[in-house]
Amino acid sequence: MKSRWIEELWQLLIILFLGTSFGLLIDQTFLVIVVFLFLYIFRTIYNLKVLLRWLDDPSGNEIPSHFGAWGSIYAKVSRMRSSHHSRERKLNRMLGEFQSSAAALPDVTITLGEEGEIRWFNKAAKKILKFRSPQDIGQPLTNLIRLPELRDYLRDGDFKKPLEISIPGNNQKKLSIRITNYGNREKLLLGQDITDRIMAEQIRRDFVGNVSHELRTPLTIISGFIENMQHGDKEIPNHWEAPMAKISNQTSRMKSIVEDLLLLTKLENAKLDDKGGLINMKTLADNLCMEGDLLSKKEIIIKANIESRASLKGDLGLIRSAFTNLLTNAIRHTPINGEIKIEWLESLDSCIFSVEDSGEGISPEHLPRLTERFYRVDVGRSRDTGGTGLGLAIVKQILQKHDATLEIKSSIGRGSRFSCLFPKSRCFLSKN
Amino acid sequence: MDNSEITQHYSQQFNADLEEIRENVLAMGGLVERQLENAIEALKASESDLADTVVANDYKVNAFDVDIDERCTNILALRQPTASDLRLVLTVIKTTADLERIGDEAKRISRLAFQNTSSDPGNLYLRIEDLGERVRSMLHRALDSFARMDVEGAIAVAHKDKKIDRLYESIMRQSITYMMEDPRSIPLFMNIIWSARALERIGDRCCNICEYVIYFVKGKDVRHISLEQIQKEFGE
Repeated sequence: MKSRWIEELWQLLIILFLGTSFGLLIDQTFLVIVVFLFLYIFRTIYNLKVLLRWLDDPSGNEIPSHFGAWGSIYAKVSRMRSSHHSRERKLNRMLGEFQSSAAALPDVTITLGEEGEIRWFNKAAKKILKFRSPQDIGQPLTNLIRLPELRDYLRDGDFKKPLEISIPGNNQKKLSIRITNYGNREKLLLGQDITDRIMAEQIRRDFVGNVSHELRTPLTIISGFIENMQHGDKEIPNHWEAPMAKISNQTSRMKSIVEDLLLLTKLENAKLDDKGGLINMKTLADNLCMEGDLLSKKEIIIKANIESRASLKGDLGLIRSAFTNLLTNAIRHTPINGEIKIEWLESLDSCIFSVEDSGEGISPEHLPRLTERFYRVDVGRSRDTGGTGLGLAIVKQILQKHDATLEIKSSIGRGSRFSCLFPKSRCFLSKN
Repeated sequence: MDNSEITQHYSQQFNADLEEIRENVLAMGGLVERQLENAIEALKASESDLADTVVANDYKVNAFDVDIDERCTNILALRQPTASDLRLVLTVIKTTADLERIGDEAKRISRLAFQNTSSDPGNLYLRIEDLGERVRSMLHRALDSFARMDVEGAIAVAHKDKKIDRLYESIMRQSITYMMEDPRSIPLFMNIIWSARALERIGDRCCNICEYVIYFVKGKDVRHISLEQIQKEFGE
């Protein structure tokens, strides 16, 4: 690279040398050198002009070829330009590919700028949300989707949970919205069409509800007649006594399953509300202990430990049946002379109601599935103890209605602990 | 039509203020849409819980109304806007007033839901539902055209009002016939007429909003002018 400008320097020196020698020849040294230098400067200016013209409009003119340093400059600029061009083309192609793949996504995809304005959206957004391109670019998203809940969701900035919205102007369609922050406070919004899923859920719920409802009447009739036969005037033949007892047993079991299913359906369909009074946990726990003593025939020690004085805001009937469920489960799985502990305490961010037993425990692989309907840890055994298999599912639903979560800890051989974690916003300190 | 008209301004703060009132109007619009939706739902299913929420949430609409008015007064006093800025502020003031009234009508409808009885001669509640659905979509589109400052959209919305007026009249006629037949049903039909009336008024207010949109974009007052004339002048 160095050689190029040295070449140029040599050129200049040769011109000066030639000029001097020619000048000496005709005895006009100064004039000839001036003329030669002038020619040199003229050539430089001409080259500059050519370069500038070519830079202004590189497409039209062929790149001027030249020798020496100027030729090298031309060649370098041209190489830089073409590599820049190819990079730009590559980037453009990549961007185009990315955008067209994002545009083809079946989910609504929108990118939002710092102020929540729409930067870009894909075809699905156009189709489902009726966005218009390009008028809607730059418009704040909440101007077009004016749902109050979306506004709050964006303002709060807590995007851990997806937001379910019904599409404005078309309430039948539902979207599940997920938002991710990226770059400098920009956001990527993905909206998945969950209409079908919600419909399927509704159909399943309705089906279970309807079936249970339809089964209730025949079951009542069957159990009524069996009761009549068992306790009627006429003696039943001896060999029929055991089967009859079994039929009656199974019918009542079936009845309780149907009742539980109906309760579950009711809970699922019920809307979450803030109604309900304050529940005094001390009284509730005492009642539970009494009930437990009756159930276990005092063969199990049941202790209540009410540490917190907080009262719980909620529906007494539902909460009571959830807690009773947990307690009867505990009793069922605790051997004679075992111990059950009921606790109500406060932690940093929640109030906890827990039932701890000293039963056989549950192995960890069952824990996540425990609240599923009809999930059995030990198929052979648990049916004999008389549960419907729906107890924990009901507990979970009831807790969900009260913004609470169920936490299960268990170790084999040492017992299990079922804790209901209520948010602090539902706990109020009672005065007495 | 041209949003850049709003957004290009010498003062950044002024710009932000104008954009903010526009956003606020649309947020209020979203709330009013929800109120109307709940009110119609409450009427449909005679759900008193939902009706309660509508009545309880009306204060939010009013708060928006007061807040936006104050912002507009501030802009008028501090910036003395001219041309399209001034038109925007005026449009916003008028639109909020209409939205507030729509909120009140929604409250009225939900109050009627309390008194809704199960007997429904002539499926009139079904027709009210139909009317409600139409009015709801009209409000939605009116707010859409406000958001986009879209004259054609606004004219299209105004067209829908005719159908709503016809529905309203037919509900009225039917109710009167039933009332003449059986005076004992008058309280029930009064409720129906009141709800229909409230919905019809909401339709008119949506039309007003569309007229403001046309005023903002074209700078011409098109109130009290027939739809055909408006269309001849501005419809492309």
